[in-house]
This record gives sequence, C-alpha cells and structure tokens, in this order.
Amino acid sequence: MLATPRLTDARILVVDDERVNVVLLERILEQDGYRNVKSLTDPSEVVALYDQFEPDLVLLDLHMPKLDGFAVMKLLEDRISSDTFLPILILTADIRPEIKRRALSAGAKDFVTKPFDRTEVLLRIQNLLETRFLHLRMRHDAVPEGQAT
Amino acid sequence: MWRRYGDAAYTLMTLAIFGFETIALGALSLSFLLGSASGIASTPVEGILLGIVISTASALALLGLYLLSYHFISNMRDRWQADQLDQWTEWWVGLALTGPGEPGVNPGNRRRLPRVAVHSVLSLLEAVKGEEGDRLKEALASHGVDSWFLRRARSGHLTAKLDAIENLGKARLPQSFDHLLDLLHNAKPVVRRMSARAAGVTLAVMPPEPGPDSPHARFIHAIKHADLQPGVVQESLLLLETRAGPILRELLADPDLSDTLRWVALETVGRLGLADMADEAAASSNHPDPELRAATFRCLRRLGSVPETAEGPLLAAVDDEVDFVRVQAAHAAGFLSAEAALPRLEPHLEDTSWWVRRAAAASLARLGEIGVATVRRAAESHPDKAAREMAVQILLEADELTPAAARLATGVA
Repeated sequence: MLATPRLTDARILVVDDERVNVVLLERILEQDGYRNVKSLTDPSEVVALYDQFEPDLVLLDLHMPKLDGFAVMKLLEDRISSDTFLPILILTADIRPEIKRRALSAGAKDFVTKPFDRTEVLLRIQNLLETRFLHLRMRHDAVPEGQAT
Repeated sequence: MWRRYGDAAYTLMTLAIFGFETIALGALSLSFLLGSASGIASTPVEGILLGIVISTASALALLGLYLLSYHFISNMRDRWQADQLDQWTEWWVGLALTGPGEPGVNPGNRRRLPRVAVHSVLSLLEAVKGEEGDRLKEALASHGVDSWFLRRARSGHLTAKLDAIENLGKARLPQSFDHLLDLLHNAKPVVRRMSARAAGVTLAVMPPEPGPDSPHARFIHAIKHADLQPGVVQESLLLLETRAGPILRELLADPDLSDTLRWVALETVGRLGLADMADEAAASSNHPDPELRAATFRCLRRLGSVPETAEGPLLAAVDDEVDFVRVQAAHAAGFLSAEAALPRLEPHLEDTSWWVRRAAAASLARLGEIGVATVRRAAESHPDKAAREMAVQILLEADELTPAAARLATGVA
C-alpha cells in the first residue's frame, strides 16, 4: 500500500523571471517546512528541470519575457500524460477574467493574484498538493496487486 | 554601454583589431625613430609624419585600453549590483517574513537606503501584501523613503515627479493616497494618468472604512471631479481589484453621474466579470444615450447573465434604431431563454448590418438545439442571400454545418 507522503516532502518548482519573487516564494515555502523547492528565473530551462526534478506542483508566473506562462504550460502539456494530475498554480498581477479563463484552459489549476497574501498562497499550495497526492494514491490503488511500480 | 548580448565576442574582436593596429603602428613608429636616428627622418615632412604615426598609435592604444577597462569595470559593477540586490532581497524577505531584528546581517543600518535597496523592496511590495507587506512599508517609512517619494512627486521636475509617482504606486503606501488624489488635478495629463493608476493600486490594499470621508469616498469624489480620460478612469478602477465592486456599485447608483463615467463603470463591471452587479448594470438598459445602452448590453453579455428586469429592454433593443446597440443587444440575447430570444433574433438574420446579422446568428446558435435548428434552416432555405451566408458561417464555426446546408448555401460552403 502506498504510504501517504507528507506535504512538506512535495517537490515544488517555482518559475518566475523576477529574482525577488523567487526568493520570496522560496523563503515562504522553506519557513513552512517544504524542503524540496527548486526555482528558475529563465523559463526556457523549465523542460529540462521538469524532466529531472519531476515536481508535484509548479508555481508559475504568467507574464515573463521571451517565454510567458502560457508557453510554459504548453511545453509542459506535452510532457504530462493525460492521467496525471500535475497542479499548476498561477501567480499573476493580471486579474482580467479572460486571462484566467485562458490560463485555466491551458492547464492551470488555481490562481493567486499579486500582491499575494502569504497565508493564502500556502493554503492554495496545500490544497493542490493534497489533491495531487490523493490522485497519485488513486492511481496506485487502481493498479492490480503486484503490478505497481 | 551600447549592446546587451555578445559582450565577450565583441571584446575579443575589439582587442584583436586594436591590438593589430597598435602593433603595426608601433612597429612603424619604431622604424621611423630608428630611421630618424640614422638620418632617415631628417626632413621636416618626415618629422611631421612621424609625429602623426606616434599620436595615432597612442590614441588607438588609449582607446583599446578604455574599451577593455570599460568591459572589465562594467562587468564587475554588474556583479556587484547583482550581489547587492541579492543581499538586500534576502534582507527584505527576512524582514517581511520574520519581523524586525530576526534577519542576521542588517544592511539597512544606514539611514539613507541605496537605490538598489529601494528597487528591491518595491519589487517585493508588488508581490506580497498583508502583514508581510505592512512590515516592509513600515521599514520604508522608518528610512524616510515615503517622504522622499512624496517630495519628489511634488517637485517641478517632470521626470522626477513621474518616477516618484510610479514608485508610490509600487509601494502602495496609505499615507501617499491623498497626495496622489491631489495630483489628479495636476496640469499635465501624464501626471494625472500616473497618479490615478497609483491611487487605484494603493486603495486596493487599504482597509475598508465606512463613512463619507473614507478613502473609498474620497477616491470616488476625486475621479468625478478630475479631468481624466475615460481610459484612465477605467484603468484605475480595474486596478482596484476586490475593492472595485463597492465603488462601481456606488457610481452606478448615482443618478447625477456623468454619461462618460457611467459608460466607464459599465465597461469595468463587464471586464471584471462582476456577475453580482448585473442588476445595477441593467438599470441603464433604457438610457437615452445609445452609447450607454450599447455599453449596458455589452456588459451583460460579458457577465453572461441578464436579470429579469432587463429582459424587456433587451428584447426591445434587439430592434433598436441604432445598429451598434442592436449588435450588443443581439449578443446579450443569447443568454435569454430560447422562447423569448428566438422570435426576436431570427428576423435579424437579414438585418442591414453585417455585425447585427452575425451577432443574431451567433446568439441563435447559443440557444441550444432549437436555436441551431433555426440557423440551419436559415442556411438551407432563407430567401435572403446574406442571411444564408451568415448562417452557414456560424454553423461552420460551431461545427454544426450539415452537407445539405453546405450545398444549398450560395457560394460560401
């Protein structure tokens, strides 16, 4: 039987071109006990790091030069199998409903508007990770005994 | 200095060219000097030529030295600034998350903060709010940065003023709110624009207060009485985020509100998707100004909901004499029941305006199977060619085009 992993063991990938935001999120997560956090300020490196790190959650900025959040989600979409629940939490200052709709249809699972509240970010991260782990558990349970890898 | 990329290649190329030139000219100078010593440069012309060669070689050597020093120093400076930024960012983040006194090294001991420290904390304030943001704002105030920004915002130098207003918008300091509202009456439109924006983002993070003299009321009073372009007011309202609803509600409830501001408020309600304000928006359905009627129906269309009180005026507006009102009304009618909307929309498949025909056909297709059947029938057998074409186009877009309709429609499928 698959043991339920602790949320703080989750692998979290932060992608934001602003170094300040990355440091802030890293420290917030670190202070809340998350130990496996990696971050990128160059979104073009996201695919390589995704393959290597296999995150449980991606925190993604939407507006970035060269490769924006939509393009990053498109790149990740090609690497995520249809039966995998990889939550992507969007961090954006853009509150327009059409942007939210576009991001949701591109694969985002939730939003946090900048400037954000630390407690709100942590709660959303926790909710998404719980869903991720429940999904992993369901997948594991669905595999017949002896075939689980 | 003048490039961003390829610094290393450029430096090497510059070094090679100038090095080659300097060596060649140096060798030439040397041979001239040796020649001079042995009596070759004995005439005044040769002396002048020798002087020119020596000075050119020296100039090139100096220039090469300058370029190399420039790249070296600017590289060092960039690294130093990046280190400073990292150090300050760590310090500010530590301060925001753990409170004063907790972070180890305090680079903020100095009274006057360096530019990089201010840049770092302003970037952070764009990312975090709540208790953490308040700590950063307190730190800014304790270093006098808020007063410095406000002094510069009141200065006569336009660049300094705009820079300060932009920074005040990033910092979202409540103490700057009234100063920003005062700047909405500045003679320069660009100052008014930036101040409206900064006031909007600042109000978005200020705690709500009741009463006629609350920040909320002062903001409404200011935008009503300042000479602002509609787009500027709309932008400042959009930036209010969750605080926009109560302000828009108050604006729309004001019977004396100018038509321009009412139009802006309707546009903003629609763009923010404030569905709980559909009733307030619908109150302008019968406005005598066609621009406002159109804005009302555009707003309802964006909200995707038409209140009962607006159904009658909306259906009437589908036949409005002004075509751009008909367009918006036809779009919004797609959110009514099929029984109510279908008989009104169908005749507009042959409207004189292409836009109305398109809106009517699109809304019919949104009314469910009965609506799609109406559009399909129009595509196959409507006597008006324009109606048939528009119906086919909409069916194509909705992936509902049958071979029969495609065959019968003239020249489109």
